[in-house]
Amino acid sequence: MKKLIKKISQFINKIQIGDLFVIFIFIALTGYLSSILWNFPQGKYLKVQMGKQEIGSFNLNQNITKIIEGPIGKTEIIIEPSRVRVSKSPCTKKYCIHQGWINQLNQIIVCIPNQISISIIGNQSDYDSLNY
Amino acid sequence: MTRSIIKINTKDHKIAKLAAIAIALSIIEFFLPSPIPGVKPGIANIIILFTIIKFNFSTAVWVSIIRVFVVSIIIGTFLGPTFFLSLSGSLFSLMFLFLFKNINGKYFSVISLSLIAAFAHTTGQFLIVRFWIIPHDGIFYLLPIFMISALTFGLVNGIITRSLLSLNIK
Amino acid sequence: MHYNKLLFILIFFLTGCYQNETMQKKDYIFGTIVEVTIYGETEDISSHAIDLVFKEFRRLHNYLHPWEKSIIQDINQSIKNQEIYLTQDSEILSILKHNQELELKTHGYFNPAIGKLIEAWGFHAEQLSTDRPNSNLIDNLQRNLPHMAEINIHNGYINSKNKNIKIDLGGYAKGYALDQARKILNENNINNALINIGGNILALGRHGDRNWVVGIQNPRKPSSIASIVLNPGWSIGTSGDYQRYFIVDNQRYSHLIDPNTGYPANNSQSATILFPPTESSGTLSDVYSKPLFIAPEKLKYNLAKELGIDFYMIVMADGKISISSGMLNLIKWHEKIDKKNITIY
Repeated sequence: MKKLIKKISQFINKIQIGDLFVIFIFIALTGYLSSILWNFPQGKYLKVQMGKQEIGSFNLNQNITKIIEGPIGKTEIIIEPSRVRVSKSPCTKKYCIHQGWINQLNQIIVCIPNQISISIIGNQSDYDSLNY
Repeated sequence: MTRSIIKINTKDHKIAKLAAIAIALSIIEFFLPSPIPGVKPGIANIIILFTIIKFNFSTAVWVSIIRVFVVSIIIGTFLGPTFFLSLSGSLFSLMFLFLFKNINGKYFSVISLSLIAAFAHTTGQFLIVRFWIIPHDGIFYLLPIFMISALTFGLVNGIITRSLLSLNIK
Repeated sequence: MHYNKLLFILIFFLTGCYQNETMQKKDYIFGTIVEVTIYGETEDISSHAIDLVFKEFRRLHNYLHPWEKSIIQDINQSIKNQEIYLTQDSEILSILKHNQELELKTHGYFNPAIGKLIEAWGFHAEQLSTDRPNSNLIDNLQRNLPHMAEINIHNGYINSKNKNIKIDLGGYAKGYALDQARKILNENNINNALINIGGNILALGRHGDRNWVVGIQNPRKPSSIASIVLNPGWSIGTSGDYQRYFIVDNQRYSHLIDPNTGYPANNSQSATILFPPTESSGTLSDVYSKPLFIAPEKLKYNLAKELGIDFYMIVMADGKISISSGMLNLIKWHEKIDKKNITIY
């Protein structure tokens, strides 16, 4: 235990005064941006984008599965009342699937290889329904 | 067969050795699972920082670029989106490293440099994501996570580099 | 990090107490997706009302189907066999009479009697054609073009001397269903809803303190080209060449047949119209988009005026947009539109 404390203090001794200043600045920056970006209002719609194109906005208040075509295959999402998640995707690491459910404003699930982004957007959707 | 006209000097040997270590570290890192997607310790940066302090900036540039290209070719992501993420992160990082390369001294150490490089790397990657891969403002929601990671690993990598430097390895 | 978890859990519980403002259900009827959204009612009431609407849609789907077993097919069969079709069904009688009026009003551009032509092009099937039909067949059918006026509709029986008549209400049924849906919702005291049948939309009431907003599809991309606000009671309908079509030798053949040529109309990619609240606004928003789509460019403007359509937007075959000034004021573009590609009427 003493050895561990000694090691840790050895480590910390390496930090010079200027470094502390830099560390402080970055902590402040991180904290500030976090407070802005992590406001948690509830989202009502989800917006699906593939690359630059908007595929559509969908009401979060429904039970439905949707399939989105991307450059490397089909990504499937499941929408349940107030939340959405990615259920299937052709990417290798499946990060998008592991992220699980999102339901808060500006939350986003991204599948970079398939260029698909699913984000929760605010009270006003781009539209309530699509005429086609 | 004609003899090679390209002269290989000791500097190139140095670059090759350092790049090799950086590449190895990157590949080890690739196989380590990360709890949060996209968040990596970036241990290859230790080599880059080490190179800047111990040798010079231009050597570090070579090592960095070679690492990005070779690792992406080996892993198989060359010219894919992750390759460009890595490249832009590294270029941004190098840019800021150039500005602050002489910071090492009485008040600041390589730890500050490491933090600056880490944040620059994150910024470079985010710019590529926002303006090319996922052109959507919602991506900024993920920024704080990456900033915290840059803070943490920037600090850790910096301390490790400092220790390495004081050990006086050639 | 613990603080974040706490906040997360707190919000999670709050959402449980949150009453959702709209309820939306979807189904697959009329060979397309139908979607009803109700605002400001409890889940039970909304769900029940939507179920009633879907039940009616399914009834109409079977009642009016253009090529499967339906009362329309029975009538078509009788006409083909030159038999008299006996009926007291006031609904079908009034529907057919309405279609007769509409063919005249639209100068024949909307002609539901040309079912045989549509069938010849392969559009009376789920799987579409991969080849053009015989041009002699098409020309023949077009030369002997049947009209709704040739059908005698009396209270008690229907017949026609022209055995080439095949009634196809594909361009009418969805609009009619919209009007039926409105009736059902009103009967059930639902005053704020959005009904979408394969893209034809009728807006009842409002979405709380704002009006319903509807996106308009880009005919060539899977994204919206614009959105538009629908005032209470207004409806929107689009005829487009991107829903049912096939491509042969780089040429697109859509299901909207020009009765004057016998061939799919190809001067436009889509025609969108808005229709004000009237008793059959749902029906008309569906029906009237066809003549605007099919008619030659020079005639579109006058035809719109004649039909009383003040709000319309047509994406021509070359991608240029013709839009009425009224529509232009209401629309909110989702894409960058080059000014020189827009003609304003």
